[in-house]
Amino acid sequence: MLPAMDFLIKEEKVYSGGLSCRGCGWALLVRHLASILGENTIYVVPASCFSIIAGPYPLNEIKGSIVHTVFAAAPATATGIRHALDRQGKHDTNVVILAGDGGTFDIGFQALSGAASRNENLFYIANNNGAYMNTGIQTSTATPYGAVTTTNPQANYKKTFPKDLMGIVGAHNIPYAATASLAFIEDYRRKIKKAKDIKGFRLIMIDGPCPPGHKVDPAQSISVSRLAVETKLYPLFEIEHQKYTINYFPEKEMPVEVCLKPQGRFRHLFKEGNKEAIREIQRYADKNWERLVALEKLTHELEE
Amino acid sequence: MNEMNAVKENKIKEFPRHTRKVMKGNFAAAEAAKLAKAGFIPAYPITPQTTIVEELSDKVARGEMDAEYVNMDSEHSVFAAAMGAALAGERVFTATSGQGLFYAHEVLHAIAHFRLPMVVCNVGRPSIPWNIWSDQSDSLAQRDTGWVQFYGESSQEVLDSVIQAYIIAEELDLPVFVVLDAFYQSHTSENVWIPEQSLVDEFLPPKKMKGYEVTGDEPKAVGGLVQPENYGKFNYEYWIDINRVEKLTNEIGKKFGDHFGRYYGAVEAVNIGPHTKMVLVTISSITTTARGVIRQHPDVGLLKLRLVHPFPKQSVLEAIKDLPDDAVFVTIERNFMGDKYGALNQELRRAFYGENNFKLYDVYTGQGGKDVPPITIERIIHRIKNDPQEVVWIDIE
Repeated sequence: MLPAMDFLIKEEKVYSGGLSCRGCGWALLVRHLASILGENTIYVVPASCFSIIAGPYPLNEIKGSIVHTVFAAAPATATGIRHALDRQGKHDTNVVILAGDGGTFDIGFQALSGAASRNENLFYIANNNGAYMNTGIQTSTATPYGAVTTTNPQANYKKTFPKDLMGIVGAHNIPYAATASLAFIEDYRRKIKKAKDIKGFRLIMIDGPCPPGHKVDPAQSISVSRLAVETKLYPLFEIEHQKYTINYFPEKEMPVEVCLKPQGRFRHLFKEGNKEAIREIQRYADKNWERLVALEKLTHELEE
Repeated sequence: MNEMNAVKENKIKEFPRHTRKVMKGNFAAAEAAKLAKAGFIPAYPITPQTTIVEELSDKVARGEMDAEYVNMDSEHSVFAAAMGAALAGERVFTATSGQGLFYAHEVLHAIAHFRLPMVVCNVGRPSIPWNIWSDQSDSLAQRDTGWVQFYGESSQEVLDSVIQAYIIAEELDLPVFVVLDAFYQSHTSENVWIPEQSLVDEFLPPKKMKGYEVTGDEPKAVGGLVQPENYGKFNYEYWIDINRVEKLTNEIGKKFGDHFGRYYGAVEAVNIGPHTKMVLVTISSITTTARGVIRQHPDVGLLKLRLVHPFPKQSVLEAIKDLPDDAVFVTIERNFMGDKYGALNQELRRAFYGENNFKLYDVYTGQGGKDVPPITIERIIHRIKNDPQEVVWIDIE
């Protein structure tokens, strides 16, 4: 990957005083997003940490419009807004969903699939911080294997892997889906710009740092995010009409425990007797990466 | 439709600038949405509503209707999309039934309390035990969501009510249900006078933007967390406007009559006066059956509720002001609210408390679409006259 050339926010579109925790992914991801999308944007927000961060009535953290909607149906609310704007000739107004992993993987999954199937002209941002953080760290289907949450405590840590949301979303044959990391800002910004100019359903899933939920020092938010990419726990890739492209190949092999170790939610895995779980996560990361490489090769060959 | 029934025996009343068509209730509902120029229709099929959205999709496909029609993934999403489009200022229409309405329940609250105008037809059916036939338990169970609810006696009334409902909805920023009976209306053909588009346009102007709409033109924040110090203000504002519905219903019903030739009110009284000993209280198509039956009973009157929520207390009290003190009321319930009394009886008790001392009887009948023919109405009258009990189940005896 080229050295960072484009990582500065040129025009700030987020007011100061946002209500996020220190080191929260929402704060940074929204600043970059809003600065690129501009003020002619309507953000649709289901229940999530961002419902709070955006500010209670009558506040709005972002320069632009914000519509808070029901948990299960942000893509449907956005569909209504999009069609209404299209009728009014406002094709240039961006309609963007800002959802967490609960609103994306779980309760909002059907509405997401519906909107993706219809290829609605919507831009979906999923901040995947791996649990219901707004309600206090409960397990979602995005919660990683091995993590403890308040509903998977202690020895009952999560023993299933998150669903392959990107694979499922990509299988809707939408024009654009991508993963992004806040440790790779220039990649994230490029993806926002690319998605902005595509018509149809677009989704970017960000690996959202959450210091209270992941039990990470807020100062380590970005470095832990970087380790997730370097250890292949969170690969960066794009899916365009089911064609996979990997955006970043880690230069050296790095075991997953390097990324797990600084996160308190995985602390128990390092106790004697739980090491097999780390090996299980390593196998998952390796297999997932091999699968991605194979998918990239296959889908690019099919294209030719 | 008292007026039309009254003249039926002689000749059919003609309405200028209308075309008379034989039409099923669901098609009348779809026609009404077209005449009202609804611009956004999110849709999901459910029996017995399905032909409403099918017909609307046809109208859009045929180019007869300038609307965005979107096949959604569920009723929850239908209402969420309706909410989004209404928020952005479009005139919205859709239709649902039974389980679909129950599934959308969460969003019904959101639409009402975000103060978004729209009109939705519900074709009433119950929930469990599984059943698709006529029953008003679904819509009546949504009473406390804050939606205004009209019940149409005929397909004509459904069509006319949809047009009136848009005026009320957009005047007060409230959503409105117009409820049809499953099959007895939805799938039954009858004469419907279809007004010319220009006649409707004169009555119902295009939707006006009020300034609260989220259109991207200027920054807006909608729906954020409301903290305790402000919460009550929203409900107070809502309360002010929901209290205006009854009066506005009567005003718009009169204006509609002046314009189209068919008059409506929140309620309709038939044969209610000093000579009346019993008043049957009905909604929807059972009303028509009761109209015929009470002709044989000079001492039995009929109180039809067209507006059911908010309950039109003043209109009801006005309609019954000449009743003798010993008259009794019989609410006919094609609904079951899981309580001793059916929904209409509960509402009537609430309205009468402290106002009068009429004896109220409650009759459950026609549950889950069981036919309520004239003989059943006769039996109800006979039972209450000769062996009255506070609550009677007429169908299962």
